[in-house]
Amino acid sequence: MSPAIQRHRLPTWDDPDEAVYRRVHIDAAACDGCKLCTVICPANVLELVGAKGDKKSRVKVDQRGCISCNNCLAICAKQAIRATESYDFVGYYKQLDVGRFSPPRRF
Amino acid sequence: MEAAEAAVLDELEELARGPGAGAAIHESLPGAEWNALEDAFLRRRSVRKYKAKQVPAHLVRRILEIGRYAPSQGNCQPWKFVVVRDKDMIARLERYCVDECKKLSRLLDYSHYAKGTLRRAVSRLTAGVFNRLDHNMLHPVPVSAVKAIAEGRFAVFHKAPTLIFPLMDKRGVGSPEVDIGIVGTNIVMAAHSHGLGSCWVGFSKLLARNKELSEMLGAVWPYEIVETIALGYPIGDPTQNHVPRQTHEITWWEDGKKQILY
Repeated sequence: MSPAIQRHRLPTWDDPDEAVYRRVHIDAAACDGCKLCTVICPANVLELVGAKGDKKSRVKVDQRGCISCNNCLAICAKQAIRATESYDFVGYYKQLDVGRFSPPRRF
Repeated sequence: MEAAEAAVLDELEELARGPGAGAAIHESLPGAEWNALEDAFLRRRSVRKYKAKQVPAHLVRRILEIGRYAPSQGNCQPWKFVVVRDKDMIARLERYCVDECKKLSRLLDYSHYAKGTLRRAVSRLTAGVFNRLDHNMLHPVPVSAVKAIAEGRFAVFHKAPTLIFPLMDKRGVGSPEVDIGIVGTNIVMAAHSHGLGSCWVGFSKLLARNKELSEMLGAVWPYEIVETIALGYPIGDPTQNHVPRQTHEITWWEDGKKQILY
């Protein structure tokens, strides 16, 4: 399909090929199961497996819908968690002219 | 008269001697550490879970004072603030928005019909038509949020104890929507500086469909709800870490040459 036509196509938002949500990466070794990230996640994609506060408990990414906001990283005292790519859609809502994820850079 | 004028001048001279006086007259070197204001911007997060504890009234007044000093086109200040701290009122606003989301979800969300069914095809078509009419509100992200709200997984106002509506005066100079964005940024950053969390809530636009609620909020001509700012004390400390964010293309014209930077 030519880009001009592709541009006018609306993505099917529940189709994983057309609405590409990113998963957050969790460093299982660092996570101490405090549960804060699962409480604050705006997209509701995080879930705690095991009891809260149990050192063996782990956060699991369960559903699609991550909006790559990194609020989970912001609140994590152990820095165990992060999303490194943005969500994207095909067609009309495709993200344009974006580069890589980057922490704040001091120029 | 002359004495009164002199008193005003004295007061202004007194005000000018605050800690920030002269801040504009210095040069920052490349790679310098983040200053307090930059760091505040980098650590602000959209907070969607709040403690039940109410924000003290004096802090809300103080935050609105910072809002009052936002730049606006032609200095027209096209806003009116509405503060809602009444639990029953917030519950009523929430209930109305949830009901509207349920209706929208039934109409536009094709994801609860199995693939290949006629119902899904019809719903997909309806959603497509509405989507062409409003590309922004029916972006896939708010659509999935509408679904989450309809299913009760997500609260519209995040159960915040205080809501601030910077209502827009439609008669403002140029693009008053932009001015509402700027006044809101002032409010959000002032709140952040006091250890409060805040979140922009665009779903409050749904309230315009209800005459009674709009009148209670004073959102009648020439005023319009554009956005709402939820305010409260955050659960946990959302300022622990700087976070990575997407970089965006920068087109940089200098000395007759074009460069693309990220």
